[in-house]
Amino acid sequence: MPRVILPLLLAVIGLILFGQGAYIHAKALVAQVLLERAFEKSIVTGRETKPWSWADTWPVARIEVTRLRASTIVLAGSSGQALAFGPGHVERTPDAGERGVAVYSAHRDTHFAFLKNVVVGDPIDVTRQDGRTFRYRVDATSIVRFDASGIDPFVDGHRLVLSTCWPFDAMTQGPERYLVHATMVEAAADSR
Amino acid sequence: MTTCDDIEADKTGEQPGLIRLVLFFVMQGVAVILVGFAALFLSFEPVWSAERLQAGLVKPGDARSGSLLLKTDDGYADASRLGIDVDLTVSGPTVRARVTQIFRNPTKDWVEAVYVYPLPSGGAVDTLKMVIGDRVVVGDIKERQQAKIIYEQAKQNGQKAALTEQERPNIFTNSVANIGPGETVLVQIEYQEPVQQSGSEFSLRLPMVVAPRYNPKPVVQSVDFKPGDGGWGSTKSDPVPDRDRISPEVLDPATNAPVNPTRITVRLQAGFPLGEVKSHHHAIKTEKIDDSTSILRLAEGPVPADRDFELTWKPAAEKAPSVGLFREHIGNSDYLLAFVTPPAVEQAQQKPLPREVIFVIDNSGSMGGVSIVQAKASLSYALGRLQPNDRFNVIRFDHTMDVLFPSAVPADGEHVGRATSFVDALQANGGTEMVPAMRAALSDNASDTGYVRQVVFLTDGAIGNEQQLFETINALRGRSRIFMVGIGSAPNTYLMTRAAELGRGTFTHIGSVEQVEERMKSLFAKLENPAVTNLTAKFSDAAADITPVAIPDVYRDEPLVLAAKLDKLTGSVEIKGRIGDRPWVVTLPLANAAEGKGLSKLWARRKIADAEVARTTRQASPDDADKTILALALEHQLVTRLTSLVAVDKTPSRPEGATLKLSELPINLPAGWDFEKVFGERLRAPANPTERRADDRQAQVQVAALKRLQPIVTQAPSTVTLPKTATDAELKMIAGVILLTVSLILLMFTRRQMSLR
Repeated sequence: MPRVILPLLLAVIGLILFGQGAYIHAKALVAQVLLERAFEKSIVTGRETKPWSWADTWPVARIEVTRLRASTIVLAGSSGQALAFGPGHVERTPDAGERGVAVYSAHRDTHFAFLKNVVVGDPIDVTRQDGRTFRYRVDATSIVRFDASGIDPFVDGHRLVLSTCWPFDAMTQGPERYLVHATMVEAAADSR
Repeated sequence: MTTCDDIEADKTGEQPGLIRLVLFFVMQGVAVILVGFAALFLSFEPVWSAERLQAGLVKPGDARSGSLLLKTDDGYADASRLGIDVDLTVSGPTVRARVTQIFRNPTKDWVEAVYVYPLPSGGAVDTLKMVIGDRVVVGDIKERQQAKIIYEQAKQNGQKAALTEQERPNIFTNSVANIGPGETVLVQIEYQEPVQQSGSEFSLRLPMVVAPRYNPKPVVQSVDFKPGDGGWGSTKSDPVPDRDRISPEVLDPATNAPVNPTRITVRLQAGFPLGEVKSHHHAIKTEKIDDSTSILRLAEGPVPADRDFELTWKPAAEKAPSVGLFREHIGNSDYLLAFVTPPAVEQAQQKPLPREVIFVIDNSGSMGGVSIVQAKASLSYALGRLQPNDRFNVIRFDHTMDVLFPSAVPADGEHVGRATSFVDALQANGGTEMVPAMRAALSDNASDTGYVRQVVFLTDGAIGNEQQLFETINALRGRSRIFMVGIGSAPNTYLMTRAAELGRGTFTHIGSVEQVEERMKSLFAKLENPAVTNLTAKFSDAAADITPVAIPDVYRDEPLVLAAKLDKLTGSVEIKGRIGDRPWVVTLPLANAAEGKGLSKLWARRKIADAEVARTTRQASPDDADKTILALALEHQLVTRLTSLVAVDKTPSRPEGATLKLSELPINLPAGWDFEKVFGERLRAPANPTERRADDRQAQVQVAALKRLQPIVTQAPSTVTLPKTATDAELKMIAGVILLTVSLILLMFTRRQMSLR
């Protein structure tokens, strides 16, 4: 019998670890569904709508890359809590469509996994809470350290930066970030 | 051991075993999915791997100048240490405190020591003495600039000098120049403070450490329009212009032994037979001299200066005296201090109006550790005390902010339940942007005047831009009343008392989880019972200069405290007010006043606070207010924002040519605080081997020096710090799969072994 105990113990630990990993992904997936709903509602009502009653954040925008069929709802703030559910709008950067650099950040293995397939020239659509959509075009990608991003959020022009951890296939957390830079090409009609 | 024969022999029993294995695997898969989703629906707790907010926001001394760093370049931290001795004498209504700071220089260099320390916000600092060997040099009060010049001159000349400056009404800085190698210099300051009273309980509070403050960055300039400027305003660029003066280095308790050992002695002469005497956060030994006098000492010798010392005492009699009247004769004037506790009158005729209560809770990084536990417990208690016909809302803030309900909602079961789970889920993180939260709490659509509007604000007050908060309150308070609840081991009492005063509410302090219920109960007694309003004081004969000028409303169990300067001590004083809907009058004959000590200083300190408030509320122009403050400070020898005490030893001691090194004394982290929540992740020792020195202590010095440098490196102006964006989901899943596979192989192996037998 003791021979069965060790494999069982390993199986249990394995289960727990796998469960935790799966939990992170499941949470990211399920949260997006709730967020999508809340975001639709906030476009209609024009009010900040919380995705679930005890949330400490709310959806502020939708990012779409049509070519990759990627769409994700962005949350206010880039705290760890918010990033578990969706991309975060980094504090103290302007909203999309405003002058300056709007910076959105998300986990490389969940919401921003598609960033590795984004190439220069790809259009990115950002829909704001007020229903207005802005189209950006990717003009560069770069790899920087988290504390030396070189992004001045109040620079001239209308720009967008999507940020995630680099390298994509790394297992551990590192100091490097992968940035996708885009510049606004058009402000779409007031509604969509 | 495994051979071909074994496999051959095994083949017969393989078929059912394989099916069982496949089944086992399927079951495992199902279980994994179940575990994942069960966890998901059980809670939406944060992902642990996800990084907390960039803590660079709250680093102290963000904007230190380069020159200061140069001075600290070489071994600055390996410098002077400090011992503190506090001697408090309570005589009736006042406390006289003598704080002795012992600066010891163990190095081979001449040193200038700088120490930032807190004092009670109502304290009037009037004496500075410097003791060198057997010589005592007594300090003079001077205008701040002038004092600084005198001090700098003495420093240049090699004379020993001491300077006491006020940074905030509760934060002071002592600088001591030219402490020789191996020398010890004693600096002694003295202050006077009124005893606090609440119901039958008297108390005093001795803050011992300045908690690290969050200083908002000047990202956006704010424009300052004054009435009558015709549209021309000036931009204010920095909300905390003196940030580097109030941000001493804080030692990480994980890697440093506590510093600044403090002894405390209290001579308690209450003036009435003493009942229970209690120290709330320190163990004390009591020595009873007679019925009304005790001497209290710390039971376990010196303690690190890392939390407030709080002492309360009660009279032996069941009922506390409800009136106290004290006098002092100084120069040509008499000074009077009066304490009157209005009676608790039950409201018979009319039910109190329902209330609209806005709770604001600070969940910034400085609240990490036990503070957030206290704050959540307090708020949960408060939510439970709401009546069904009340309305409420909850706001939480760090550097971001959330308002729970779009507008105030009825306190029914459903809403209170939602608020309770919202509060339970709060975590302490991030910066402290208090002004927007206060603004949100005060935004009142004023549609329903049938409600009494109250704001209950729970915070440790660890911010450097107090003035901005006061201006917000003054501009927006409307009909709202603000009740400050100070949380933690070392709250900013200046912020609490002044905010409560401007907001016409009260200040409650909660220093430990055990105090939550008792203190919140007494706060609710204040919220639920009508205040004593329309208070006036009139002297029958004497011409009086009364402070506070406009007597604030007094809440249940609180005394009305009045200080006055009189030309003669005759006649009586009549205090009038309304308790709810009933008029209340009390007349005190002045001849019965007992002799008190230091009342003139308390009167002057209170007048200075009045002038500062008038400056905030724009009732007086800044110049006029400053003139008033300066005159009072010089007359009564008080340290204020505009005046400092300076002491200079006449004989030079530092030989010419010997250089002087600056040593800023580090302070402890307040007890119960979480270092990483405030300062971010700990720095590791520099990896570069050439930078390393053999001596362990030297390495520590470098780490400390690096700590200083670090904010400047990472906080290059206007660049965005990107959050951490990786989870360990993959890592965990892969590890999980590997473990599962290993267990499967082992199981298969075991099965084979068993079937072999």
